[in-house]
Amino acid sequence: MKISYRWLARHIDLSGLSAEQVAADLTLSTCEVESVERFAPCLSDVTVGHVLTREKHPDADKLSVCSVDIGQGAPLQIVCGAPNVRAGLKVAVATVGTSLAPDFKIKKSKIRGVESCGMICSERELGLGEDHEGIWELDGAAALGQPVAAALDLADFVIEIDNKSLTHRPDLWGHRGFARELSAIYQRPLKPLDTSLPPAGALAPFPVRIESKACARFMALCLEGAANGKSPLWLRTLLLAVGQRPIDVLVDVSNFVMLDLAQPNHLFDRRRLSSEGIVVRDARAGERLTTLDGIERKLEPADLLICAGPKPIGLAGVMGGEETKVASDTTALVLEVASFHAATIRRTASRLALRTDASARFEKTLANRDLPEAAAGHLVRTLQSIQPAVRLSAPVTDQRNEQALVAATAELSILLRPERVRKLLGVALDDAAISAILKRLGLAVSPADKPGWVQVKIPCERATKDLTEEQDLVEEVGRIHRFGNIPTRALLETIRPPQLGARRAIVRKLEDRLALAAGFHQTISYSFLADSLRAKLGIEGLPHSEVVNPVAEGLSAMRRSVVPSLLGLLESNRRHGQDVRLFEVGKGYLPYAPQEAGISPTSSAEPKEVHELGLVWARPPKAKQRFDEGVLAELHAVVADLLPALGRADLVWGPARTGELPAFAHPVRALVGRADKAPDARAVAVLAELEPSVRRALGLVGDLDSEVAFAALSIDDLQHAVAALATRYHPVSSFPGIKVDVALALPSAVPAADALAAIERAAKGLARGIELFDVYSGPNIAAGHRSLAFHVVLEDSSKTLEDKDRHKFLERLAKEAQGLGGELRAES
Amino acid sequence: MQSEHADLLAGYRARMSSAASQEVLRSIEREAFDKGGTIAGMLAKVPSLEPSERAGAGRAANELKRALEADFAAARERLAQAALERERSGGDFDATLPAPKARRGSLHPLTQVQRELEDLFTSMGYEVLDGPEIELERNNFDALNIAKDHPARDAMDTFWVKTPPGQERLVLRTHTSPVQVRAMAHLKPPFRAIAPGKVFRQETTDASHEHTFHQMEGLVVGEGISVGNLIGTMQTLLQGIFGRAIEVRLRPGYFPFVEPGFELDARCPFCKQGCSVCKRSTWIELLPCGLVHPRVLEAGGIDIERYSGFAFGLGLSRLVMMRHGIEDVRHLLAGDLRFLEQF
Ligand SMILES: [Zn+2]
Repeated sequence: MKISYRWLARHIDLSGLSAEQVAADLTLSTCEVESVERFAPCLSDVTVGHVLTREKHPDADKLSVCSVDIGQGAPLQIVCGAPNVRAGLKVAVATVGTSLAPDFKIKKSKIRGVESCGMICSERELGLGEDHEGIWELDGAAALGQPVAAALDLADFVIEIDNKSLTHRPDLWGHRGFARELSAIYQRPLKPLDTSLPPAGALAPFPVRIESKACARFMALCLEGAANGKSPLWLRTLLLAVGQRPIDVLVDVSNFVMLDLAQPNHLFDRRRLSSEGIVVRDARAGERLTTLDGIERKLEPADLLICAGPKPIGLAGVMGGEETKVASDTTALVLEVASFHAATIRRTASRLALRTDASARFEKTLANRDLPEAAAGHLVRTLQSIQPAVRLSAPVTDQRNEQALVAATAELSILLRPERVRKLLGVALDDAAISAILKRLGLAVSPADKPGWVQVKIPCERATKDLTEEQDLVEEVGRIHRFGNIPTRALLETIRPPQLGARRAIVRKLEDRLALAAGFHQTISYSFLADSLRAKLGIEGLPHSEVVNPVAEGLSAMRRSVVPSLLGLLESNRRHGQDVRLFEVGKGYLPYAPQEAGISPTSSAEPKEVHELGLVWARPPKAKQRFDEGVLAELHAVVADLLPALGRADLVWGPARTGELPAFAHPVRALVGRADKAPDARAVAVLAELEPSVRRALGLVGDLDSEVAFAALSIDDLQHAVAALATRYHPVSSFPGIKVDVALALPSAVPAADALAAIERAAKGLARGIELFDVYSGPNIAAGHRSLAFHVVLEDSSKTLEDKDRHKFLERLAKEAQGLGGELRAES
Repeated sequence: MQSEHADLLAGYRARMSSAASQEVLRSIEREAFDKGGTIAGMLAKVPSLEPSERAGAGRAANELKRALEADFAAARERLAQAALERERSGGDFDATLPAPKARRGSLHPLTQVQRELEDLFTSMGYEVLDGPEIELERNNFDALNIAKDHPARDAMDTFWVKTPPGQERLVLRTHTSPVQVRAMAHLKPPFRAIAPGKVFRQETTDASHEHTFHQMEGLVVGEGISVGNLIGTMQTLLQGIFGRAIEVRLRPGYFPFVEPGFELDARCPFCKQGCSVCKRSTWIELLPCGLVHPRVLEAGGIDIERYSGFAFGLGLSRLVMMRHGIEDVRHLLAGDLRFLEQF
């Protein structure tokens, strides 16, 4: 919202205070100021001139050659094209060298052979609206040779306020409210404002009927004797300064009162209203109304209507109707000043995308006492000051909907403890100083019955929203005293050392391990998952939490797990690079669905949010040289290192059971990790290559051909696992162990896990380490068999192992190998 | 005999001098000295000679052995020296070759800033809390003194979550403030807590607007907590963030869940006369904050006569952008390695 410094000065003496100073003080005490700018800066650059003579241009019918006195030196010869230029006029002269716009500098020139030394300006050329009919005829009293701005007292500054910082202050939506703030800040009195109504004529009062709960009050005033036309300069310039286009004097005065006191109002052409008067009622479904902007609006029962008899003539609190607006020949008027329900107006304005100056004010909850009558009086007095013939032809109609009035009016008196102010602000202000600040804001302070308390009476315009309880007054004192003047205090309390939290501690270690040791890059993704991506991954059939109003079509689903987000990033990243390693620690959102096993909602409606670690690795495929190469094996190495990095034994890895793999996982090249060996243990981690058709759907083919593996780990489960799993420490034996390398040739169908178990059994608890170092099939190995080679370390904490221990181990292992259908092929 | 020995010696010497490595040299040496080797062969023949020749032949064989031993030692030394020289020469090393790329991953800049703040606040006795991102409308708005018809709801364009009919309405939390509500429900005053996390606003995105971003909420509740405490704490916080004391200014700001409410501006740490970060004003709007509104304390079951508190919010995304000079907020969540690799 824009406010005008010159306008403020109508309400309070601002002498000695620059607009910048006012803006700075408003910033620190009241609201957020966005900018301060000079209004129509050209006005200070043009000079008041006096047209001494006007001759016809010898070679052009429509041009005049004028001699203009600008109060210094010889009169200037200026060629002018305006029809209204004539001798004796006071005009605005732009002399040679003056810039009226960045690309419009006045130069000495010859026009049709006649020299011209300047320009006589129109209002439009000076930024004063659209009037370009002719040159601007200044008031005859304007001082010759002065800058126009000074001579006509038009110098002004526009202070732009951030509307968001005024949400809670309906009183600040008019200049008088700001002046009241400045009055408190500078301790200067407000100038009086005459808002009394003149005596009324004897005609019958205008009939008004309120039929809706959304209208608390409706005043109607019958005015006669108006003559519409152009507004006086002071009014037009004030409106222009705050960004309002002057229309005609009736509309301008109506707007002026709204921008002055914050109370919207409306003027109807009396001729267009029926004798039945005005009815305020809720709209009916399907009703239509053409608003002032010429657009036909489709209405709903939630909208509030102003009607002439049965016929809608205005959208209450938002915009008037086309049919009843004032015209150039309007002389008789009905003035509406009303109070409407804030949320009703807000919803209508918002639904119709019709945010007007009126709706912006009504939706802040304007006072419905004192304010409407003040606005009505102010409007009549202002109009009379311009057009003395205007008179009130009938007594004022003032319909009140008492029920709505009470609901919309807050308690007008608050009990306050000055001690509470001192305590909450942390400042030593005595009772008198606190009272003085409140009084400066227009609040009346009086003693209360209880000792230590005072009674504070709140004026209506502050009582609707902003000032309703004790702590609100603490803020009032604080901001006028200035929060910056409050001394800084340390928090004085015993610090109880907090825990970072088990999950955070684990997550940090995982992140560090992945980023610093495994070369993965952390990303943080959006929580939404595009429908198209869900379809590519084959998970579109799963229930997802959804938002009603997505930012874009097809982006309403919330991800159930982190990995799909990461898979969606592969194609673009592979386009820019070869090796794509990404991880994310984030949330999956599981919608509450009772049939889903294992998901219990925290409340009946709340979805469950799960913490997950997701990893993806994509890179151009390369030929595998060894069993431990390939993206799946290498990602397995990374993931299998995570629990050890947390100081725990690794998960138990093995094949997935039905239902444990997501749809986008490769059906065979996949494995899961469990926190223990129990057959029913839940999978904490899933590790897999991509399902081949998903890899194609994700575009990882052709130039972007990739081998891709992903892993998903439940951080919630890991947290439990970390608590449950044994720590990794194993005492260092003081007796030397022995190293044995063994190779077992076994049928290929025998899982490696069985070979490992066989070694464990053969070692009889002495196996300190078993490490697979080769997988081989080919010459020297029977068809359908493969050789698994292991480094085995045997160690006994109570004695030195000898050669016979080694032999016994190998004998047992040979038997185990036979039991698996193979043989112990080599040892060393 | 003599000439035979001389030829043998010459032959060995020739092979020694051409031996390129210690291994080759050692195999030649074995040929000379091993069982069945040259010297052993000579000595083996001695007993079959005429007694008169035996002494001479034995001596000659031993002489040859000593000569060969000395020559082998010299050859070994020569090869060792040559190897040292070779290693010292440094081969074709080029000190101007660019460094090969080390394989390193990265932590997201948001993670880095969040961790710093978590550490800073835990060092000052704050607990670190979490709350759900799909939040009850009640916690996101009502309990924070933002009533159904409150205009402040307009400013927070909200994602609404589809809920079964008859169940409580859910939103994607528009701020981290609902964690205040949850904190008060299970922490007993006095307490201090922060809650970093993801928040959502339904708005059109551009370089400075995102529908998903990160915030951090702070909440302190105790006896006698005042605006003075709030200012002091914020100064400490900024000192922790920027590593030095930063001038602050407090001006009124409106948030329904605090009263009084402020905007805390920090003197721009990046300039003296105004820059693009501070939009030429030399002040950066950094921390909305205030005393917790009594309605919010009450909703959290806290005795407002005994306790008061303050709350503050910090835009983590904004802080990250300021720290690294990131021009477009949309980079943060786009998952582009060309961005992520830089941190
Ligand atoms: Zn700056």
